[in-house]
Amino acid sequence: MPANPKYLSSPLQRFAKISAGFLGGYLVTMSIHLALASWFDTANIVITSAYSGFILWAVLFVLAFLGKNGWKVWLLYLAITLLFGLICYFGIQNQSIV
Amino acid sequence: MSDRSMKQRTYNILFHTHTVSGIVISVVLYVIFFAGSFAFFRDEFVNWERNSGVDVTDHITFSFDHLLDSVGQNYNLYGRDIELSKYYIEDRVSVNMTGTQSKTAASEDQLPKFFYYTPTDNSEATYAASYTLGEFLYRLHFLAQIKYPIGYYLAGLIAFFFLFAIITGFLVHWKKIVSNFYIFRPMAKAKTIWTDAHTALGMIGLPFQFVYAVTGAFFMIKAILIAPNVFLLFNGDQEKFYAELGYSHPHSKFIDERDAANYSIDEFVETTRDRWPGFNVTQVHLFNYQTTDMQLLVEGHLPYRSKFNGTGQALYQVNSGKLISERSPLEKASYLEAVKNILYRIHYGDYGGYALRIISFLLGIISCFVIISGVMIWLVARDKKHIPEKRRRFNEKVARVYMAIALSMLPVTALSFIAVKIFEPQGQSFIINFYGITWLLFTIFYILKKDLSFINRNTLLLGAVFGLLIPITNGIKTGNWPWVSYEKGLYHIFFTDVFWIILPILLLFAWKKTLKSGGPGGIPQKKVSKKTIPTKPIAEAVN
Repeated sequence: MPANPKYLSSPLQRFAKISAGFLGGYLVTMSIHLALASWFDTANIVITSAYSGFILWAVLFVLAFLGKNGWKVWLLYLAITLLFGLICYFGIQNQSIV
Repeated sequence: MSDRSMKQRTYNILFHTHTVSGIVISVVLYVIFFAGSFAFFRDEFVNWERNSGVDVTDHITFSFDHLLDSVGQNYNLYGRDIELSKYYIEDRVSVNMTGTQSKTAASEDQLPKFFYYTPTDNSEATYAASYTLGEFLYRLHFLAQIKYPIGYYLAGLIAFFFLFAIITGFLVHWKKIVSNFYIFRPMAKAKTIWTDAHTALGMIGLPFQFVYAVTGAFFMIKAILIAPNVFLLFNGDQEKFYAELGYSHPHSKFIDERDAANYSIDEFVETTRDRWPGFNVTQVHLFNYQTTDMQLLVEGHLPYRSKFNGTGQALYQVNSGKLISERSPLEKASYLEAVKNILYRIHYGDYGGYALRIISFLLGIISCFVIISGVMIWLVARDKKHIPEKRRRFNEKVARVYMAIALSMLPVTALSFIAVKIFEPQGQSFIINFYGITWLLFTIFYILKKDLSFINRNTLLLGAVFGLLIPITNGIKTGNWPWVSYEKGLYHIFFTDVFWIILPILLLFAWKKTLKSGGPGGIPQKKVSKKTIPTKPIAEAVN
């Protein structure tokens, strides 16, 4: 310390990683929990997310900084969000049929 | 990339993000932990301030019938929903009533009303008039004084970033957890001292800090978890969401038909307690008061030491005496109810008596020290020859401002205890203004002194001196010296005075240590490092 400059990112990369971690991480966390909640017992999943949500979000936030390229992290997080978003969508459809 | 340089890169990234997240949240997090630590004893401080004796129980011990009768003389209660709650161990309960649902009522009866009711003298008090230093410190720890909802969200985000800092800090320290667990090198250079303190106390406090980061974030920013659920899974129906999660109190609809008979609410409460021995009734909710379909919800919990997850409730039809529905505390709690309860219990630390609260207080203060030592590491690590003078002076200013704001909380809090005792009774304005202005003045004074060691030594000393004056002020003002209050069974008053004898003694010990120059408490002012920038990368530490 202070940080060895060779590991620091450019300002744009910093923005990418911070936003990916904070916003992207949030989107992934919510989409996973919503997907689970739409297929399983909603109340139990929701109350679990009270702790698992924040823990998962923080972990995803940390992981975002370990990527080489913040924009790739964004892509990855958005892809995961889409995947679980779809699962959630079908879960909701399934619920209204049941 | 070789495995070693990957690890090196990972280590550096985690280290840097830990530093940045830590420094950014440090001051506000300190405020939260300092105020929060004192909040464990909120009720003791409140009753000390009011010089009142209380029944130390979660249970509402007085007559509901008497309360309703007394309140009914000042308000037209017909057709209202009335909620009587005991949230704190105080001499009063909160009365929260809707306006009457009867369309034919007078306009003033249609207004909702909130106040505190004290049964011993049938008095009514507003929130602001009932405000105490205990309440102030409790609310300060989630930044409630900052205009809603900014303070709440700030506190929640800080808690979340704290979780980030904990995870990164833990990973950075991972390899040295076992090897360095008992290491403390007080004779080494400044950075080493602060680092050893930071890591040792961080490790000791880790489970505690993790719990508070998660529960703290949940309490304050749970809305961002809730919103997508309501929107996507409940079609925007918020009521349905809360009902699904067991937060609503379903009850009969309002029928505008008066029932003039007199019913004893106390009897319903007693019946409930007969069925659930030891049950603490913390809330009583009357629906459609004095109508033919009046209902009564009795809520509470078993003592935590007999059943940790022992919440329960019973809904009665008042005119027939029939039990409509219940959730018995004697049955095994559902996962849902258990989690809801646990999140509060582990945050409030109210299930293990004084022992747990005292340990929690100490861990909270230790967390404050972890934060301070983190700031000091940040400062001292940048106190190197290769860093431009201008930058070093900027860093020193930042650290000085942080330390002034944080460390001055101690003498300011002690002074506030004295102030509320001398100038009592006081309401919300006085307390907020006194604390706020005194805090500002002390902060400015310490910033202008330009001496970090001084801030450290002086806040400890003043904290101790003002602290010792607290029981003295109380004794002179109320005559309830510790031996008197103990005799009279005024245990909250006794506790507060003893707290402000023991804590100052500990502070004086700490102060004495800071007088020795080069000791852990003294902060060396001279530029310490004569080394140039290390050429070996931090790979050393990774191995």
